[in-house]
Amino acid sequence: MEALNYFATSWTSLDLLALTALGTFLGVYIGAIPGLSVTMAVSILISFTFSWDVNNALCLMVGIFMGGVYGGSRTAILLNIPGAPSAIATALDGYPMALKGEAGEAIGLSTVMSVIGGFVGIIVLALAAPVVSEFALKFQPRDYLMLGILGIMLVGSLSGNNLTKGVFAGAFGMLIGTVGLDPLTAEERFTFGVVELWNGINPIAVMIGLFGVSEALTQLHYMNKAAIKQKIDRIIPRWADVKKYLPLSLQTSSIGVIVGALPGTGGDIAALLAYDHAKRVTKNPEVPFGQGAKEGLIAPEAANNAAVGGAYIPMLTLGIPGDAVTAVFLGALFIHGLNPGPLLLTENPQMFWFTVGNLALANIFVLIFGLTGIKLFSKIVECPKGILIPLILLLSVVGAYAINNSIADIWWMLGFGVIGYFMKQYDYQVGPVILGVILSRLMDENWRRSIISERESLPDFFINLLSSPLSLVLFISILLIFISQTPIWARAKAMVFK
Amino acid sequence: MTAIHAKKPGETLFGFLVLTFSLFLFWQSYEISGFTALSSPGAFPLAASGIMVFASCINLLKDIRRPAEVGGFEVFWSKVLPPIVSIMIAIIFTFGIILDTLGFIISALLFLIISIQFLHQKGLVRSVLLSLLSLIVIYIVFRLVFSVILPEGIIPEREIMAWIGSLLN
Amino acid sequence: MGVVMNKRLICALAALSIIAAPAFAEFPKKDIQGVIQWGAGGSTDTVMRSVTPHAEKELGVDIVMTNRTGGVGAIATKFVYAKKADGYTLLMGAENPQMYKTLGLANLDYGDFTPINILARGIPIFVANNDAPFNNMKEFTEYAKANPGMVKVGSTGPGGLTSIVLAMLDSQVKLDLTNIPYNGDGPALTALQSGALDVMPAVLGAAIEHVKAGRMKVIGLVDVKTNDLLPGVSPITEDFPGFSSFLPWGPFFGVFVKNDTPKAAVDKLVAAYHTAAQNPDFIDLMNKRGFSIMNVAGPEAEKFLNTYRSVSSWIVHDAGFSKKSPEEFGIPRP
Repeated sequence: MEALNYFATSWTSLDLLALTALGTFLGVYIGAIPGLSVTMAVSILISFTFSWDVNNALCLMVGIFMGGVYGGSRTAILLNIPGAPSAIATALDGYPMALKGEAGEAIGLSTVMSVIGGFVGIIVLALAAPVVSEFALKFQPRDYLMLGILGIMLVGSLSGNNLTKGVFAGAFGMLIGTVGLDPLTAEERFTFGVVELWNGINPIAVMIGLFGVSEALTQLHYMNKAAIKQKIDRIIPRWADVKKYLPLSLQTSSIGVIVGALPGTGGDIAALLAYDHAKRVTKNPEVPFGQGAKEGLIAPEAANNAAVGGAYIPMLTLGIPGDAVTAVFLGALFIHGLNPGPLLLTENPQMFWFTVGNLALANIFVLIFGLTGIKLFSKIVECPKGILIPLILLLSVVGAYAINNSIADIWWMLGFGVIGYFMKQYDYQVGPVILGVILSRLMDENWRRSIISERESLPDFFINLLSSPLSLVLFISILLIFISQTPIWARAKAMVFK
Repeated sequence: MTAIHAKKPGETLFGFLVLTFSLFLFWQSYEISGFTALSSPGAFPLAASGIMVFASCINLLKDIRRPAEVGGFEVFWSKVLPPIVSIMIAIIFTFGIILDTLGFIISALLFLIISIQFLHQKGLVRSVLLSLLSLIVIYIVFRLVFSVILPEGIIPEREIMAWIGSLLN
Repeated sequence: MGVVMNKRLICALAALSIIAAPAFAEFPKKDIQGVIQWGAGGSTDTVMRSVTPHAEKELGVDIVMTNRTGGVGAIATKFVYAKKADGYTLLMGAENPQMYKTLGLANLDYGDFTPINILARGIPIFVANNDAPFNNMKEFTEYAKANPGMVKVGSTGPGGLTSIVLAMLDSQVKLDLTNIPYNGDGPALTALQSGALDVMPAVLGAAIEHVKAGRMKVIGLVDVKTNDLLPGVSPITEDFPGFSSFLPWGPFFGVFVKNDTPKAAVDKLVAAYHTAAQNPDFIDLMNKRGFSIMNVAGPEAEKFLNTYRSVSSWIVHDAGFSKKSPEEFGIPRP
């Protein structure tokens, strides 16, 4: 009963309700604008809400978190610029839908699936937080390495019809990810003595360049083509559609919760793994993946919103952030005089159900704000290219600058924009590059940690890998996926079923 | 998978550049820490750039075998890099260069007016009005709402705001 | 909105012609920019964002804080150094710049800045996995000697707190430990709980909540006296008296301006931050997290900064992982 009372705190107070709504609304736009990140917005709010009551501050921030993760899909679908790394996978099939005039449907479907994913995350948080957090803590460096490898195998699906070009792009991305002072030993890698390169090349700058700028430049080829007329009669998805895709969105939501709960990974990796999963389990998509498959839109959207609830799991139970945003939340709790840590729920038992209730409320606002204003948004794509392209370019510049207030990021963004343009011209997909950038650190660091733990002995590494149940499961899944994707398997299958 | 299609002009050259670039990066990766240890900072970059070299070799071989598109290299300037694209690239790079010295407001305004005028071609007044409107929205969202301090350049924005603030009080 | 902004623009243009040369009679005349060396959610970020609102009240203007991460804080340090010395750009940082010269990361350190306030200092401790077969520093060193290479210790890169504390230990007793690098004490403390690490030197504030919850144990306190938050843990100097030549030592958080900033501006900022750091909310916050409040400026702050630089630079140099000798920069031995 007490739990229910705390759960309802933010639903029954007009102030808290309004702040959650405001936060969610702002969040949708913060998420949609590349360069403005939820992490940044929440940390600005920390000093802004300094003198507020803690519940008020939290409601605003939770709203921004929930809305922001969802909002990333908006620009991904409409302009092929993911608002945040967790929306990269959304752009892969969402943008092709917009090109076919189905932007409204795509946004509607992604909204509903995001909300479903969000609720899966919240339910797991409410019912199984202690179990999941203990499970997440079991992940050793080698298990994170396995997750990274699982993710990088997505290169196979993102390469279009040219696998070797895709492999090149993926490896290029991994290399970009290693630029800068090595986070583990402070050794300089590819810095050529330039201090600005110490911190590496920001993945978001790469992302804005490769997706936004290169797409804008490519669109210049089609200036005299009329803008695509968007069908906006159907925005709320058909019930039959929701029912049809529900199993898939539940599966990918579970991926999202687990990956979100792991302290070393967040919504971006969750969405990519979910996309990969969708591509493997969908036998006969109505539309091929990469050309506007609804499955390819649903999977990452459900997963990245489910990762929100997931990220809260270790944060509330152990005081360990599940991702970058929850790390800032911990700081906020600290400033408001709560002691975030494993004892948080013992000292402030109301916090848990309050957060669960507030997340659920924010998720409902995502549904409301997500489904309103779609018509207006779809119009963006109908805006004449001569105006739209300069605006995309300006927004890309401002977005790249906003990441870290640095002019250097603008140059990286523009540089990758031009590289991406030529890559597209010559049949190289840009998706694998950004995949490599995102996974690079995870793989590099955890490979080295695991091999150092074994004192540089490869045999010991494999012995431990095969003797830990968790690592073994991950290892076998990698093998299975690898075999099923390579020509050997296709040939063997052909022989058997001849 | 699909039928072999003719390569675009410059594709082989691009493949060659990619290979050279990969070899350069492979050498740079080796320079980080050589082949000293499996856990060295250079191990992962070596692996990644090794894959790049390998994949770009195969790509180059494949490209060489494919037939070239008719029309020769002239087609490059119409199909791969038409003037409209190279001009836009030039405009946006110029924007990047003047951004730091002139400041965001002036350079972004110039960028918008010139590029909208160039691409949209519906009259200068319209371009200027559209640019002003978009810039104001972007300025409000980034500078005022999210306090992203955009390069100030020659306009002393903070002084102006303090002055406006004092007027309002 | 458009109309309002157009008015604003007109005002702005008018203002352009009116604004005279800045006078320091009444600093501050406009918003101040605060540049934080570390990322959002980190301890430097948290400390700065919790003290600065109190200082804003004193100054009557906004202090807009931005995170400029990278190069262990060197990017932010260089950025602030490149700005005018007018007091309108503050550097909000941690201890790292004091090691830049010795580690060859930059030619700047806090000697090139005027301290506005050294807010607080952290206390290093040794924590261990609950299952580790030792409970204090003595047992730990004996176990590590008996099992060379078997103890996995978390580290946060050269020049970080863990590397310096381990170098201090190394100067007292030679141990063969396996150092596993993490980028930050947060991830390393998580790894300690998962069993990927056995021991980790960390700042008390980062570990205290996990210790209180019984998720890890404290095996050593790197200080000269006992700590109220850690009853029953004796200071490390009891087992290793040689440590006393380094202590008290610990990472710190401070606000700085570039040298040669007009005295009027410095005085105003010092006064504002001094009052801000006395705010009971802030003090309570820092105590709970196990940071010792310092709240010093002027010669006292400079003395602390110099001592920190001497101890850390020389310990790192003697342990053999400095790029340049502290002597080159005239850093005296402690």
